[in-house]
Amino acid sequence: MLAPLPWLLSALFMPAPVHAGDDAAGAQPPFNLNDPARIQAGKKRFGSTCAAYCHGAEGDGGKTPRFKGKSDFLPAEAYKVITEGRTGADVMPPWGKAFTPEQIWELVAYLRFLSTQPASE
Amino acid sequence: MDLSTLAKGCAALSAATLASAALAGTGPGFDDPNNWPQYHRSYNAWRFSPLEQINKSNVKNLHVAWIHQPGTVTHGLQATPIVIDGVMYSIAADNNVFALDAATGKVIWRFTPKLDPIVKEVFYQSASRGVTVGRGKVFLGTLDGRFIALDQKTGKQLWATQLTDMKKDYGALFSSPPQLAGETLFGGTTGGDQPVIGKIFAVNADTGARTWTFEVPRDDPKSWPGDSRRSGGGSAWLPGTYDPTTDTIYIGTSNASPDFNHDDRVGDNLYTATLLALEPKTGKIKWHRQEVPQDTWDFDAAYEALLVPDKNGKTTLVHLNKNGFVYVMDKDSGAMVNAWQYAENMNWAKGVDVKTGLPIEPMYPETDQKKLHCPNLLGARSWNQGAYNPNTRLWYSQGMEVCNFVTSAKQEAIAGIGQLSLGLSDIKLTDPPGKKADGWLAAFDPLTGKQAWKVRFDMPPLSAVLATASGLVFTGDMYGGLFAFDADNGKELWKFSAGSGARGGPVSYAVNGKQYIAIPTGLGSHAPGFLTGAFPRIRDLPGGAALIVFAVD
Repeated sequence: MLAPLPWLLSALFMPAPVHAGDDAAGAQPPFNLNDPARIQAGKKRFGSTCAAYCHGAEGDGGKTPRFKGKSDFLPAEAYKVITEGRTGADVMPPWGKAFTPEQIWELVAYLRFLSTQPASE
Repeated sequence: MDLSTLAKGCAALSAATLASAALAGTGPGFDDPNNWPQYHRSYNAWRFSPLEQINKSNVKNLHVAWIHQPGTVTHGLQATPIVIDGVMYSIAADNNVFALDAATGKVIWRFTPKLDPIVKEVFYQSASRGVTVGRGKVFLGTLDGRFIALDQKTGKQLWATQLTDMKKDYGALFSSPPQLAGETLFGGTTGGDQPVIGKIFAVNADTGARTWTFEVPRDDPKSWPGDSRRSGGGSAWLPGTYDPTTDTIYIGTSNASPDFNHDDRVGDNLYTATLLALEPKTGKIKWHRQEVPQDTWDFDAAYEALLVPDKNGKTTLVHLNKNGFVYVMDKDSGAMVNAWQYAENMNWAKGVDVKTGLPIEPMYPETDQKKLHCPNLLGARSWNQGAYNPNTRLWYSQGMEVCNFVTSAKQEAIAGIGQLSLGLSDIKLTDPPGKKADGWLAAFDPLTGKQAWKVRFDMPPLSAVLATASGLVFTGDMYGGLFAFDADNGKELWKFSAGSGARGGPVSYAVNGKQYIAIPTGLGSHAPGFLTGAFPRIRDLPGGAALIVFAVD
């Protein structure tokens, strides 16, 4: 009963880095990714910032593998890509200077929520 | 017969085969048939080659002559190559400029600029639509907000001028080649969807010294109430054209910002969504036509200013707006001649008044309300230009039949330079009501909109179009299918699979009596990724970068 508590406490109260880019590798979320308020904040940010011209509504657009039904979703990996961006046949700009770590983790919470949803097709 | 006489005879025969179309017409569009000396080949934006060696009978034998691969596939190849006297000048990812032997593809020189690291943070990365060649120089607009001039023969840098303050202006950069108007080199940046004052810059082409800067949002509280002008957008991100006979620059401007929300900018928002006619020496406005006052749908007026003869031979200006309408105007005054609906699916207004050129009963987005808008924010067509054939008198141009649900929202302050201020909380691409989203290539009378033929594509093609005097129409699709159609009836006469989609400008030119068709391939730009929301199979389409040049034997 008590065993999970230290983990939970450190997850909730671990000091977040000042700059999102500082801690991209192996980063830990400063809040519970299942928190509905955080998911909603991420959804709002995604809709206004990420959807148009890039990822589409609920990530149904874009050139990445689908967000919905993504069984191998890894929060730390998502955090890193959002923070640092990605260059390949096309480009995702880095958001580490635009958003705080907390704001990026809210996006990760939304993406994690999407990964639990049935795939679009 | 000695060899030199024989050689002259062969050259004469080839010249006759190549350029017999030159006898059919003279002047802009017909001049200099062996070359592609500027972005649309001629300032009337025809993208028309007078060459006839490749024709309807032999186009099925078109084969690859050579391929140039720049080596980086980021955002594909979006350029329209320039070809002058056997040398091709083009640009690939990250502003790498190449001069190539146009007969063999051999690299003559290559220029790689050292770009400011900020280019890795901006929204519009890597891509450029071409270079401009003239006055012994090759000119480019860079990803870090400069115009640069190179020596045409050697590729060595002659001058560079910083024009934008990228940090202040949210990464405003040049994604298109600046154009020449005499000794003036001019061009606008990206940024119509960002909280900036969009600008068109001009420098002296020989020295790089700044001459004038045109701020697109007019400094008038009637146009921009309160503080709204400072975040009004209004970029001019595509190449303008220069008519030397009237010494006029034609250049169109983008949408107003925030794109889908007008609450704080209730005014006409001049000069956004406007076609401008400017004086090259001063940047002063000769005339303007604002196609979408208080634009709230991302309806840029940035596309090509096509100049075509009417039935009396008078040159008239034909201009497609992203909103799905074509505006036909007097080229010297901007006075309305006609307007016709280009998009099949259009619901943002009841129409366009032919006399005033104004939208009839526009349906504006309203804050926190979800509405269906057709065409979608990418427009009735993307920037991939059409082509005009003066023999058929038809304009060949593509369409995108895709709509979107948008929930307009107050735009909050944006944090990063790579962010857009779109004024929405939600956007979802969707099929037009009762139909399946798709695309097309059509042949229109540009003055009336009467349709001669239309070919459907399961996804909107994003390559520009090339028309040739032998009655061929070349373009490419998102899969990498390259096509030649019969200009009279749209029959497919040739197809080639390039392996990655076409997003640049096909051109035609001749070297030593042989005609070539050059088609840039390699999918790029934001359009394909966003269109995945309407066409899921785009997700699996590969990138690439291969400039493929074809000929017949």
